Order: sequence, then C-alpha cells, then structure tokens
Amino acid sequence: MGLDFAVVPEYLDRLLLGSAWTIGITLAAAALSFFGGILFAVIALYAPAFVRWPFKAFAWLFMGTPLLLQLFLIYFGLIQIGIDLPAVVAGVIGLGLHFAVYNSDIIQAGIRAVDNGQYEAGRTLGLSQAQTIRKIVVPQAVRAVVPPIGNNMIALLKDSALVSVIGVTELTLSSQLAISKTFRPFEFYLAAAACYYVINLALEAGLHRIERRIQVAR
Amino acid sequence: MKTISNLFKSALAAGVMVVATLGVSQSVQADELDTIKENGVMRIAMSGAYPPFNFVNEQNEVVGFDPAIGAEIAKRLGVEVEVVTTAWDGIIGGLLANKYDAIVGSMSITDERKKVVDFVGPYYRMSRGIFVKQGSDVADLAGLEGRKIGVTLGETHEQWAQEQEGWEVRTYKGLPELLLELDNGRIDAIVTDDIPVLLAIRENGNAITQLDTSGLAGVADQAGIAIRKGNPELHKAMQAALDAIQEDGTYLAIAEEWVGGDIR
Amino acid sequence: MDFDLILRVFPYFLQAAVVTIELSVYSTALGLVCAALGTFARLSRHKMLRAIGTTYVSVIRGTPALIQLFILYFGGPQIGIQLDAFEAGVIGLGVNIGAYMTETMRGAIIAVDKGQTEAARTLGLSRTQAMRKVVLPQAARLMVRPLGVNINAQIKGTALVAAISVVELTYTAQRYIGSTYKPFEMFLLAGALYMVIIYVVGICVTYLDRKVALK
Repeated sequence: MGLDFAVVPEYLDRLLLGSAWTIGITLAAAALSFFGGILFAVIALYAPAFVRWPFKAFAWLFMGTPLLLQLFLIYFGLIQIGIDLPAVVAGVIGLGLHFAVYNSDIIQAGIRAVDNGQYEAGRTLGLSQAQTIRKIVVPQAVRAVVPPIGNNMIALLKDSALVSVIGVTELTLSSQLAISKTFRPFEFYLAAAACYYVINLALEAGLHRIERRIQVAR
Repeated sequence: MKTISNLFKSALAAGVMVVATLGVSQSVQADELDTIKENGVMRIAMSGAYPPFNFVNEQNEVVGFDPAIGAEIAKRLGVEVEVVTTAWDGIIGGLLANKYDAIVGSMSITDERKKVVDFVGPYYRMSRGIFVKQGSDVADLAGLEGRKIGVTLGETHEQWAQEQEGWEVRTYKGLPELLLELDNGRIDAIVTDDIPVLLAIRENGNAITQLDTSGLAGVADQAGIAIRKGNPELHKAMQAALDAIQEDGTYLAIAEEWVGGDIR
Repeated sequence: MDFDLILRVFPYFLQAAVVTIELSVYSTALGLVCAALGTFARLSRHKMLRAIGTTYVSVIRGTPALIQLFILYFGGPQIGIQLDAFEAGVIGLGVNIGAYMTETMRGAIIAVDKGQTEAARTLGLSRTQAMRKVVLPQAARLMVRPLGVNINAQIKGTALVAAISVVELTYTAQRYIGSTYKPFEMFLLAGALYMVIIYVVGICVTYLDRKVALK
C-alpha cells in the first residue's frame, strides 16, 4: 500500500475545523494554566498551613501521574461522584490544571527571586500583605518567568492532542475520523502533524512578541 | 502528488533506515498462509472491550466468543494463536499495516470494508439495536430527534447514525464508554449491536431498555473475519476450518459458553 | 469503591508497571543517544549538520508525540517500516524525548562559561580537547537536574503508547474498564503505580545531582 496524498483535500475542511478546536482548547487551557499557576504559587508560598498542605498534596498527585490518566479520571471518573463535565470542558480543565501545577513551580521560583526588600517596601508604604503580593511581587515575578511559562504553553498545545481520547473532535480525532473512512493513516497523520507544526510556529511567534514587549516595558 | 509522495518516501526511508532493519521483512508475493505456517503463529486482533465477544477477564487474559473461534481456527491450521487488542477505529489500519494476520473481532461485513479487506465467514449474525435508559421519555425512533446519540467510532452504526436527520451524534472508542455514558446520562441513546447490550443487561443488570426498531429495514449484519487482500490460500484454509467448526458442533459449544445460544 | 476487585487485579497491574518501566528505560536510553548526536549536530561548525540538528529538534518539538507514534506505528508500513507496538513505542518515545534532551544538553554546554573554553585554548588544548576535558565535565553536572525533569516527563509520556496497543499501565486500566465498568478504581490504581515509579526515580535523580554537585 503506497502513499496517495490526493485523499487529503476532501477532508481538508474537517482538519481545519479540528485545528480551530485545537487552537481554542489550547488558548482556554493556557489562560487557565497561567492564572491558576499564579494562584497556586501564592497559595504555596503565603497561605496558612491548612490550605497549603492539601494543595501541596494535590500538586504532588498531578505531577506524579500522566496527563492522559488525569483526563480519563476527570471525564469518566468524576461523573461517578456526580460531577458532570462536557468533554471539552473536562479537556480544558485537565490540561489547564496539569500545566497550572507546572507553572506554579516556575512562578514560585520567580517570586522567591523578587528581592525581599520590595516586599518590605510595599508593607512600609502601608499596603496590606495581599496588596503587596498582588501589586508588587507577582507582577515582577511573572515578568521574569515569561520564557519558561511560554515553553509550557507550547507543550500544552501538543498535549491538547490527548483530549481526543475523551471524544473531543479536535485535530487528532478529526484525522482519526478521516482515517476510519479512508484507511490511510500515514497521509492524514502527516497532514495533522503539519497543522500542529504551523499552529506551533504561530504560537511561538506570538509568545516571542509578548516576551519582547515585556522586556521593553521593563 | 506522485512526486511529492516520492519525495516523502525517499526522505523518510533514508531517515529511518536503521529503524527498518528491526522490522520483519517479508516477500510480497507469497500467500500469507505460508508465512503463518512458517512462523507457527496466527496473530488475531480485536478491541478487547466488547463483552461477551471479546474482553479481558480478571486474570488479564483476553477471552470471549471471538478469541475462542480464532483459537479454534488456528488450531485447525496447525498453528498457535496470539491475541492482540487494539482501538477499534484503527483496527483495519492495523491489519493493512501487517500488525496482525486477521481481525476476529465481531466486524460486520460491509461493501466499504470489502474494498480494502477480504472476509472469511460470516461467523455470526448481528443486528442493530438502539437503547435508552430505563424511564427515558424516548419511546420510538422519531423521539430521538434533537437528542444526543452515542456510537463507536468506525462501526457501521456510526455511519448510519450520522446519516439520520436531526441527531446529535457523539463518537466513542468502544461499548464500555457507551454504556457508561448512557448510564451517566450524558447521552440519550446508543446505537450498537444488540447482543452485547442485551447480555450486559442480563449479567450486570444495567437499567437499559431497547427501542422497538422493527420498522427499520436492513438492520441485520453478518460478522466476518477480515484478512488482507490477495491471500486466496489463506482465505480458503480459514473458511474450511470455520466450516468444519460449524459442522462438528464446536461452534455451538463455543456459542453456548459465551453467548448462551446459537447466533448463526 | 470496590477494594476486592482492586486487590484481585493488583498483580496484573504490577506486571503492566514492569512494561511501563521497560518502555521508560529503553526509550530514555535511546533518547540520550539521539540527544548526544543532536547536540553534536547543533553545536557543529558544519552548516549542514547544524541544519539537520535544528530541523530534528524543531519538527519533533513542534508536533505532538501522540501523532508521531501514530505515524510510526500505523503509517510506517505504508513506506516499508514494519515495527511491533513495543518497538514503535520505544523508538517513537525515544526519538521524541531525544529532541527535548538535545535542548537540555545544548543549554548546559552553552551555560559553561565561554571564558573556560578560551582559557583552555590559550593553554594549548585543541578545540576537541577543550570540549572533552574542560567543558563537558562541567556541563555534565549541570545537566543532571534538567535531564531528570525530561525523564520524569518521559515516564508519564509512556502512557501514550496505550493508543498503539502496548499493554502497559494505562492500557491495562482501559482494558479492565472494558469488562468491569469501574473507571475510578482502575485509573486510581494505575495512577498510584505511576506515582511510585516517578517518585522513586525522582529520589535517584536528586541523589545523583547532589553527588555530582559536591565534587
């Protein structure tokens, strides 16, 4: 069985629709992972012990198990205890939380690197602890860690392929649907890979711009 | 397109030359019956998620009607059997990709599939069933309009459901997901072969009822064993083995054991 | 929660965990080889080699590992590459992690102060000697921790080969769900075993990191 890329154009609109879903899921999950990461970092560093320890256990669980398993558990497992999430929402939450935990690690390091004097200065100026953290420490910390967080978002784009297993018709499942009709895996997976690569390049370029703007703003 | 594909071919072939040596090289001309006999083993594929036809028991072994039939055919060809489980939507792709020698996995014989594979059999009769949760307000086919219908990706029922007007079709990887989702209430109905569901109702007491679809034409399908095209000898040998199994009562015994009755 | 069922299937999950460990070990070993070659290519003075190295890293890191596995396993035979699922899993995951490790290794080598190379050259060492005797030993120490992060990701990444029917932990859980209809129990069991593997490896990496750092 040789190769025949002529079968691809017929399914192009579906692959593009799948790409749109992939982009949407990635952006939503990236936003969740970014703000979630900041929240988790603040909890890990400043929250009282009775909040901090359960959170740490949660982070420990997320970092120690595969994303694929977490997605299955969120979609097929949670409903057993009455939490019913549509597949897309389960996918965004799974991806978002998974990467929020990783981002939180990076942001914690960023917060620690912000000079302690800044915190003291904020308090001396009469800001409350929460205000100091929100207005002085976090903005500086986040700026410093934009590149590694950007890396995580690129990783997130590729891991979004995993939500195909819980039935979200994004790019990967769209190509699988085409394969189940044409029986031509190589052509369609290669086409899907090309779509991912283009989205990836666009995302990298976008992140690059943000990085530059932040550097200028400094 | 030809030049592009050639370009890909040479680029990829060069890149993975080392990899290729790990693979099994085999001549294209020979009928695969010879290869199977030479290797002394026939690899058969199924989803492994389709009780009672094929599923994993608590000892992590793949058992059921399909592996039993497959093993019996292999025995009569004088070779061992090796069972492979794989996702249903990629199962024909895997056969064409020579990942196994036959699909003995409750696959219905269709014209579309016949274009890419040959079928031995049929070895049992299956019919389409539509199931809803007990107490559902859906009483007949017309009531399914605007509802969420679950199907397995790559099954004949998937295509059929997609063709129905006004159904919101959702695809899943297999029957277990379908039953879980119906039970969860995420979908309103499932379209699938009826025997496995009827058995699930009997064995596990799933709160599911079948819609009366007797008005539907052409809902009966035949299950066949898929092999790669261009293997007349293998086809003949497997068909002869299957016929013998049906004649000497072995078939009936297997059917009784796993399904609880003759399903021809 | 069906604890009886969990206890009954536990031995088979342990067997599957062994498959997961084998996949992790073989693919990481292959990944290290790919990464060494990739780093060599990316830091080479030859334009062609550099281009090959850059393309390898960019294409592999720019597409999902799941798709790469599918291309290799399902698509490979269309162009004459015939691999069984385990082989495809090891090669696909290994080549994939190799691209990430290439960046880790390259980063570590670049992080070793440039002045070090220059000093070594001034002392009369050749470029190769300077790399081997001065830069690499220092870079190797810098690599341990980030490579540990790569390996951690790789262990979790082995779950992907469930999609090409390797009966490792995740696929074992999925198959049992097919007959038991107990997703929660099965995934929890698999998750617990992943955590044991990942944190044992994590402890080893930390130990190794401390050891080389103290030197």
